[in-house]
Amino acid sequence: MTRINTQGWKGALVMVTVVGSCGIQLSTANAAAAAAKPSPPAPPAAAACQACHGSKGEGMVEGDRPRIAGQAAYYLDKQLRDFASGSRQSAIMSPIAKTLSDADRAKIVVYFASLPMPAALASTAPTTAQVSFGRQLAFEGAEAKHVQACDNCHGPEGSGVTFSGPALAGQLAPYLAAQLKSWQQGSRRNDAGSLMSSVAVRLDDADIAAVTSYYASLGK
Amino acid sequence: MVQRLKEVDVVVIGVGMVGSILSKELAAAGYKVVGLERGQTRFTVPEFQSPAIHDELRFDIRKALMQDNTREPVTFRNSSSQTALPVRRWESFLPGTGLGGSMVHWNGQTYRFHATDFQLATHTRERYGKGFLDPDLTIQDWGVTYDELEPHYDRFEYLLGTSGKAGNLHGQVQPGGDPHESPRSREYPTPPQKEHFQGAMFRKAAMGLGYHPFPQPSSNLSQPYTNPEGLKLNTCVFCGFCERYACEHYAKSTPQTFILPVLLANPNFELRTGCQVQRINLDSTKKRATGVTYIDAAGREFEQPASLVITSLFAINNVRMMLLSGIGKPYDPGTGKGVVGRNYAYQTMSSVASFFDEDVIINPFMASGASGTLINDFAGDNFDHSGLGFIGGAFIGAVNTNGRPIQYHPTPPGTPKWGKGWKDAVVKYYNHSVMFSLHGSSMSQRQNYADLDPTYRDAWGQPLLRITFEFPQNDLKMAEYVTARGVEIGKAMGAKQVAGAPRKGPYTTQQYQTTHNTGGTVMGSDPSTSVVNRYLQSWDVPNVFVVGASAYPQNASWNPTGTLGALTYWVADALKNKYLKNPGHLVTA
Repeated sequence: MTRINTQGWKGALVMVTVVGSCGIQLSTANAAAAAAKPSPPAPPAAAACQACHGSKGEGMVEGDRPRIAGQAAYYLDKQLRDFASGSRQSAIMSPIAKTLSDADRAKIVVYFASLPMPAALASTAPTTAQVSFGRQLAFEGAEAKHVQACDNCHGPEGSGVTFSGPALAGQLAPYLAAQLKSWQQGSRRNDAGSLMSSVAVRLDDADIAAVTSYYASLGK
Repeated sequence: MVQRLKEVDVVVIGVGMVGSILSKELAAAGYKVVGLERGQTRFTVPEFQSPAIHDELRFDIRKALMQDNTREPVTFRNSSSQTALPVRRWESFLPGTGLGGSMVHWNGQTYRFHATDFQLATHTRERYGKGFLDPDLTIQDWGVTYDELEPHYDRFEYLLGTSGKAGNLHGQVQPGGDPHESPRSREYPTPPQKEHFQGAMFRKAAMGLGYHPFPQPSSNLSQPYTNPEGLKLNTCVFCGFCERYACEHYAKSTPQTFILPVLLANPNFELRTGCQVQRINLDSTKKRATGVTYIDAAGREFEQPASLVITSLFAINNVRMMLLSGIGKPYDPGTGKGVVGRNYAYQTMSSVASFFDEDVIINPFMASGASGTLINDFAGDNFDHSGLGFIGGAFIGAVNTNGRPIQYHPTPPGTPKWGKGWKDAVVKYYNHSVMFSLHGSSMSQRQNYADLDPTYRDAWGQPLLRITFEFPQNDLKMAEYVTARGVEIGKAMGAKQVAGAPRKGPYTTQQYQTTHNTGGTVMGSDPSTSVVNRYLQSWDVPNVFVVGASAYPQNASWNPTGTLGALTYWVADALKNKYLKNPGHLVTA
């Protein structure tokens, strides 16, 4: 059966029709529900992820390994495919993604998407002013730079929009900053319409520090 | 007490698309320009940001971006024998207000008219003979040709970054584009937007019938773009909130994204918002404008003297400004004499709805305002009208712009209008229907016009504009013919049920059709049938230019904005290179 994006108010980033009942989920809405239930058993292939991303996909401060728990299955699936094909570059992730079968990848992404979004891991202590400025960028944008609100695509308070932007709330600030730098420098380009590079090139280092520390501060 | 301000070179009434482009051109050329905008200042950040901008109740239903018709409505009647009443709720057409004007809430559909449209009277006579035309029609040539406007169309499209595929470059037909279009000097600045599923279905069916489908030219951009003003636009994300909304992504070409930052940075330009212009002031000879009188948001009255006055309001408001100022002779439908208000025209919109089984998934919400696929095989004079009894035509396309939950709920004929039966049908068909738009031309006719209402006044005590309009028989015949062609395409797509809805009279202001009001201050080469000359300069008061779709002698088969953009740059050139070097009549009648 075919499912549709029910988040009409946010819209869809890419023109896709997802075929199969593979549990495409809204990250935060389901995270709350999932928190009340016991976690499903991890598929065996998830072990390869847990070594670095944590047993519950919570991420690790050391090595800036992002949280993957509660992230949309669609997003995780696309990233794994992109690591495998090389359209997203990572010396660590690419070899792992290449070894995954389609069936294992499908099980892994559904599993991590079903896990509750854990409390944020803090690697640095942002200043209040940084968080406040970061929130303004995230929620409102900056007209002088022609930067729109991050939440337009990433959902209210960075909660994620299934076919659009991934969840940013509670993500590690250094990971987010590294990704923004990659979009800025062109080393990451696996989105539709160069949307992220268009935004990232207009941000300076202070903007990046602020907005990433704001998102990292959420979900505590 | 009226406060008289310091004289400036140019006063521009209305800072929408036309006003901001002309202001920018003149300020950059060194002239002191004041822009008077009745609405508020607004920018992408913070005014247009999500989630507030996706409030369907506020913007779709309550028309938050539109002219405030509690203070400034229009009145309407279908014929001169009726008494017009104020339109208290915008439905049929949606004039905007505020910085950036109506373009802030447009769909981004950016067409060119065809060469024959600009010489419609001459062309029709030459191709079909003298007796072909309904004698009630008052169509006429524009006084400007497509070839003259082509460089200005090009400049406008490159300003906007319009996404499309050329069908004719220098006379050479290009595969994938519209083979009927008049020659372009360049390819579009950006490639077409992605085709949605219903567009692909339409394309396949139309090709099977021997037609020539092509991607809709869109100013919701397909890729990042830096325009010649140095401004950067982003890629559209297909959120389906264009028309009636502002874009939160810097992806829709509006004055906010393509020109205002440059204009507002120029010290020669001053923007004043909340300024309701009452009239253009004339000297005792009535042949020269001395400036304008306006009332600000605090109710204070000002006179702004200027050497040159440009009225760049929405079409119907341009007509009203000329009538309120007493410039040009008002049109009298009884005698056919007079020009201001004459040749008011609109757009003749029909539709075809195709309903499919549940295994055909349309996802109508994945759309931009201009991401459709269409044909021009039955638009303009692209087909032989011999024996058909009408002129003009329509583009036919799967050009649906959204699947917004309050406004979009297609149901087949025979569905109950409310209650459980209606709800069940909405659920059943929402994601399995394709709506074609048949975007038809509108011929001007003797009985259709605009004048000042004798009864109703606005919040400042000025008479409202009164519109008298009914669909010409010519246009209803056209609608009937093109809708039958649309139904054939729907059937060729394999729909289970196809319902054609050709436009029928009487015209009503209570049903949304389109915001393409034209005419009333039409351009031409004869002062007895036009308000402005080919440079949109008033025949009567040469230091007044009237720039808007009000200049169109009749409306063609396409959305009017692309042509208005071309006319705007055409006027900018005439002002900079001719008028301002030697002020006076640019054309001798």
